[in-house]
Amino acid sequence: MKLARSALLLAGLAGALLLAPPARAQAQALDRAGLVQELCGDAGAMGRAGATLAATAAAGSDEDRAWAAPLARAAIDRKLGCDETGAVLEEGGLDAVTRTPRAATGTPRAPLLSLRNRPVFELGDAAFALRGAPDPARRAAALKTLERRPALIPERLLDRAAEAETDAGLKEQIDTLAQTAALNAADPAARIRAIGRVAENPSRRALTRISALARDPAYEANPEFRAAVDAATARIERGIAIGDALATLYNGLSFASILFMAAIGLAIIFGLMGVINLAQGELIMIGAYVTWLVQQGLRAVAPGLLDWYLILAIPVAFLVTAAIGIALEASLLRHLYKRPLMSLLATWAVSLFLMNLVRVVFGTQNLQFETPFYVTGGVPVIGDFIFTWNRMFAIAFAALTLALTWALVRRTPFGLNIRAVTQNRDMAACIGIPTRRVDMMAFGLGSGLAGLAGLALSPIYSVNPQMGQNFIIDAFMVVVLGGVGTIAGTVVAALGIGQINVLIEPLWGAVAAKVIVLLMIIAFLQWRPEGLFAVKGRRK
Amino acid sequence: MSRIGPTSPIVLLIGLIILVAMAMAGLAGTEFALSRYLANAIGQLAAFAVLAISLDLIWGYLGILSLGHGLFFALGGYLMAMYLLKHSFEITATVPDFLQFMGWKDFPFYWAGFEFFPYALAVAVVVTLLVSGIFGYVSFRSRVGGVYFAIITQALVYVAMLLMFRNDTGFGGNNGMTGFTVLFGWPMGTSGMITALAVASLLVLAWVLLGCRWLVGSRFGALMLATRDDETRLRTMGYETLRLKLIVWCLSALIAMLAGMLYVPQVGIINPRVLSPELSLEIAVWVAIGGRGHLVGAVIGALLVNAVKFWLSSAAPEIWPFILSGLIVLVVLVFPNGLMDIAKFKFVRPMGAKRLAADLGESRP
Repeated sequence: MKLARSALLLAGLAGALLLAPPARAQAQALDRAGLVQELCGDAGAMGRAGATLAATAAAGSDEDRAWAAPLARAAIDRKLGCDETGAVLEEGGLDAVTRTPRAATGTPRAPLLSLRNRPVFELGDAAFALRGAPDPARRAAALKTLERRPALIPERLLDRAAEAETDAGLKEQIDTLAQTAALNAADPAARIRAIGRVAENPSRRALTRISALARDPAYEANPEFRAAVDAATARIERGIAIGDALATLYNGLSFASILFMAAIGLAIIFGLMGVINLAQGELIMIGAYVTWLVQQGLRAVAPGLLDWYLILAIPVAFLVTAAIGIALEASLLRHLYKRPLMSLLATWAVSLFLMNLVRVVFGTQNLQFETPFYVTGGVPVIGDFIFTWNRMFAIAFAALTLALTWALVRRTPFGLNIRAVTQNRDMAACIGIPTRRVDMMAFGLGSGLAGLAGLALSPIYSVNPQMGQNFIIDAFMVVVLGGVGTIAGTVVAALGIGQINVLIEPLWGAVAAKVIVLLMIIAFLQWRPEGLFAVKGRRK
Repeated sequence: MSRIGPTSPIVLLIGLIILVAMAMAGLAGTEFALSRYLANAIGQLAAFAVLAISLDLIWGYLGILSLGHGLFFALGGYLMAMYLLKHSFEITATVPDFLQFMGWKDFPFYWAGFEFFPYALAVAVVVTLLVSGIFGYVSFRSRVGGVYFAIITQALVYVAMLLMFRNDTGFGGNNGMTGFTVLFGWPMGTSGMITALAVASLLVLAWVLLGCRWLVGSRFGALMLATRDDETRLRTMGYETLRLKLIVWCLSALIAMLAGMLYVPQVGIINPRVLSPELSLEIAVWVAIGGRGHLVGAVIGALLVNAVKFWLSSAAPEIWPFILSGLIVLVVLVFPNGLMDIAKFKFVRPMGAKRLAADLGESRP
């Protein structure tokens, strides 16, 4: 409502302002002296001067634009000194008309912009900057200013700015703004064309823009216009619905890949040894901290490679956490295999220790990560769905981890040993598999996978000593649901829990999603106590 | 089961507890009375000891580790807090903070009747029995046990914590409930009230100890140990272990709820942090340090760990986690039966010590 009202108000304003300028813009040569005189005049004259400036920015010759550009800025900053002979630009001490150096005569008066004129001048200044400023950031800022008042933008300004624009992102933004301006144009045919163009890229913003037109006077008066608006609204709504569905799927997939990364190490360890590693969350956290350390190291040693720290940290994160896992297994868990509940407490002690150690060494604040170009931004697909690269990174990373883990477990002698020990420890020992060594290596593998999960998380989540706690219970649920020690079960359970979470969240909130998922898991275990994919073997 | 002699540790412990309670009651008001801080600390420790017994009953004697006992503790605590707030409101017309935060004019409908303690107690018992009964039934029926059960109980308490952190549930949200002024018509916060609460907690502890000792010494207790040591064999012999496990589980939950009801008036606040998985894990640590499968051990473990925690959390809070994790590793690796391993050579010969000295029949899941 508010938006529509202000749009109408602006449209009215635009009518008042734009009706005068075209006549002036047609005048090929700019009356420079007259313009300066108006700038020094009363509020009405200054308003006309402002409109002339805006029109010059849109349609004036290059020389005229270069000449007029400083005037708008000077008027806004009150750096224009009016005296008897005309005006002086205080910056540089130049005559406003001839641009030759001269001092002001008498006491120059700096005209004050009225509240009504100020936006007109700011618009003019932004219009000059958009077409003339060499710095893209300045042009982007100017565009922001113009976006606030699309109805006041002079005709052809945006088309010309877009033609000259070299920055692709900025050019696109200018085009979008041009459409908005066209939606508010005076000619109904141009408006209908603009509506069609806006509907080609459905998004919530487009919908707001189009639905605001339903309150436009033309909507009642002009049936063609009404039909165009209605068709565009329907088309955009369909696009948004598709986009939202895709976005939910995508978010669910990225959440699932995080869950999978956190759970796969747990699943391997649990399947093999019946040990739930409560320190897995802390190993994830350490993986993220190692990634950060690699980033800091690169910053100090090889700043040129800084962007690649996420890739370079992969082996480091894996090896460090795997080493911690192996040390943990050899010193502590080795003695507790017959007592899984005690190993639960022992790993909790380790988790407590690691978390507090990191807290003491690094502090409790969130770590700052660079955002490399390959996880920045995204591709808008349809509606409000943006295919963001940081989530894609997590998904691709999880897929790669899945492939490698699968290959390791299914295609290598080490994997064969893991599977043999998982299925029947005693029999595997009988045929000469060194079960203790397999345990140790597998524990290292599971821990290393947790480290990789920490790495994959670091571009998306906040990294602090407590971060492991947020994932560990979800990861357990994945293991319990998926069944012990199966990769396929972990994948399916992670996908399922991830999607259900994302589906429920918008309806009832994140807490309800967790509650419902837990209740569903408990109910599911009634049906299949061994999880989705139970390993064939003796029930231990 | 072995007979209880006059010098057996449990008799000594119960005697000591009653002695302390009587001394505190007798000395109240005189110059020899304990400081308010100390009396309050003793009362809280007694509540924690009751909580530890509840877990020992199910873990030490039945081999089922629950990492979610904080849920029942919090249930008792929250319902007690509801009684206290409603009761204080009836007498002094103080509006609880959380109602003001939420901008609510009146208590939500489910607070009706909580000004009557018997009603609050009845609700606490019924809700605890319902939650523990349903959860226990579905878990034990599908023979979820061992590590699986531990993990699912942990998830349960975690989810409950998330739920209670919400502000719109009518249970105080993340600030919890505090500002209790009146208990059974008496003003709270006086030294008399603090001593009375501590004495009451000690007496409840003595009763719970006595009751549990009777239970584990009975024929039912023998069945519990048999279930712990070899459930399959017991089932093969025709015993229904589902009902047995369910009864002990619900009883354990009730005792934990009782501990929560004792705890809340003494600390004067309840918030969702009692539902954090860490607290529930810590209960298991008290029991493990004291010695699983010994009621005396659970009490001593809870008292010892919490006394050190009370002392350290004011003296050096940052080293407490390191000490705790060190203690756990020590207990797990060197003294599998906790302090009982150290103590039994000197004066303790707890029942079933020979069997317990070996591993506590924990089977793989």
